[in-house]
Amino acid sequence: MGERVVIVGGGAGGTILANSLDPKRFDVTVLASSPVHLFQPALLYVAFTGAHPRATRDEHRLLRRHVRFVQDAATKVDLTDKVVTTSSGARFGYDAIVVATGMAPDPSQIPGLAEVDARFGDYHTDLAQAEKLWSSLQAFNGGTIAVGQASPIVKCPPSPLEGAFLAEELVTRRGLREKTRMVFFTPYPRAYPSAPMNEVVEPIMRARGIEIMEFFDVDRIEPETRTIRSIEGDEIVYDLPIVIPPFVGADITYEPCDVVNEDRFLITDKETLQIKGVDRAFAIGDGSNLPTSKAGVGAHLEAKAVATALAGRPVRFTGRTHCPFDVGYGRGTFVIGSYDAPVVKARPSRVKRLMKMAFEWIYWISLSGVIEPVFTVYFKLTAPKPAPASGSVPDSSSSLT
Amino acid sequence: MDETTTQHATPHTVVDSRGSSCPGPITDLTLAYRRSKVGDIIELWATDPGVRPDLQAWARKTGNKVVSVDDEDGKIVAVLEIVKR
Ligand SMILES: Cc1cc2nc3c(=O)[nH]c(=O)nc-3n(C[C@H](O)[C@H](O)[C@H](O)COP(=O)(O)OP(=O)(O)OC[C@H]3O[C@@H](n4cnc5c(N)ncnc54)[C@H](O)[C@@H]3O)c2cc1C
Repeated sequence: MGERVVIVGGGAGGTILANSLDPKRFDVTVLASSPVHLFQPALLYVAFTGAHPRATRDEHRLLRRHVRFVQDAATKVDLTDKVVTTSSGARFGYDAIVVATGMAPDPSQIPGLAEVDARFGDYHTDLAQAEKLWSSLQAFNGGTIAVGQASPIVKCPPSPLEGAFLAEELVTRRGLREKTRMVFFTPYPRAYPSAPMNEVVEPIMRARGIEIMEFFDVDRIEPETRTIRSIEGDEIVYDLPIVIPPFVGADITYEPCDVVNEDRFLITDKETLQIKGVDRAFAIGDGSNLPTSKAGVGAHLEAKAVATALAGRPVRFTGRTHCPFDVGYGRGTFVIGSYDAPVVKARPSRVKRLMKMAFEWIYWISLSGVIEPVFTVYFKLTAPKPAPASGSVPDSSSSLT
Repeated sequence: MDETTTQHATPHTVVDSRGSSCPGPITDLTLAYRRSKVGDIIELWATDPGVRPDLQAWARKTGNKVVSVDDEDGKIVAVLEIVKR
């Protein structure tokens, strides 16, 4: 029997990892609370364009034959005794574990948000919520649309701005632009947190008349007066609030308990991806506390890095990000960076938008791991250049192969 | 981000944001600010030089105090005092 690897979570990261492990060496189990795999980036288009993509697949079918799939939620992970306990009471012993449980929306952190979410929908929770937001946008007839994130932790950093751009495009197409005030709020000092990319997108926002409220960290929402208030003391009165909820890690108890932070994100070595102080235990994707974007591309590269580490080869995760960014009206760009290479300016174009749209079908194939060589070449060709002054180790994306 | 609380007279939180890539150290600072109370000290470590102007802008906006910003061999150490919440 091969080394027993339990992967908790069957999303972007867990699925790629399971399919990347050599069946001759590893006995792989994927444990996921949901039998359905959702392509989350599709929520943007469901909410803002009314699209009906085939956004879900049966997780079991995405896994290679040798991978055992168990639909059950982990409730306890004992990293000392190497046992995972599930909500049905089952116990799974392992030799190595990888936690890939993503992150879940937690509107309860912001007073008033659950009520606003239930009424207007949002585009970061699930398909039903995204469809509700599309209905809210259809019902909108002029007034103030306020779009933004309620906490600094968000899935895919461009997604809040993508929502603002697509909402603006929609109201313009519906002939409501004159009657609409578009406000974008953000806890950051500027519309897009990374300054070079902000230099690209902020002028576009200004040209389209989207107001920017910087340093607006949502404190609470008062549905009765339709007001969003910030910790910094500002307020926005809305007609249609599009508020991205705060996120937390999965509801799992760990032993030892100090491997997760206050928001239940796993404390993870940013280069080895090992869970703090535990051998043959790793965290990948949105559920870790890595100082990089929460994105499917990161989950993918982290999965490949952990597959390499489990196979006994040295690896350094470079913190590579590669987030597609739809700026509306058929144009898009990419946010590319790593621990060693700061994000640089990248002008929007029609071709980049098409690349983003192509990603939807490439995603399902990428999960199988069969087109990995193509990805390796693509990520190498698009690798960001390390900052000359940093003096740090060069980008080693190649070690991720 | 690696957050630890050390033994000081006032609550003192060290926020290690070194080598943080997009969206960067300001994420960690914002999270620490959310959890802070008046009188707390936040010590932010970063390597991204862009953090300097961001800290000043943050302090101006939130009405809090940048006590010091030092460069220790490429590690930027900023000490912030929460005077307003
Ligand atoms: C609107 C939007 C747009 C986005 N756009 C992009 C984009 O353009 N590019 C990009 O790269 N990324 C994008 N993302 C982000 C991307 O979808 C996520 O970062 C990615 O899915 C994270 O992968 P993951 O494997 O960490 O978690 P997920 O894919 O969320 O998977 C988590 C898995 O863990 C399981 N799970 C949770 N709790 C438990 C438990 N207790 N026990 C067992 N299983 C559990 C879940 O069932 C699921 O299978 C976007 C996201 C949104 C919402």
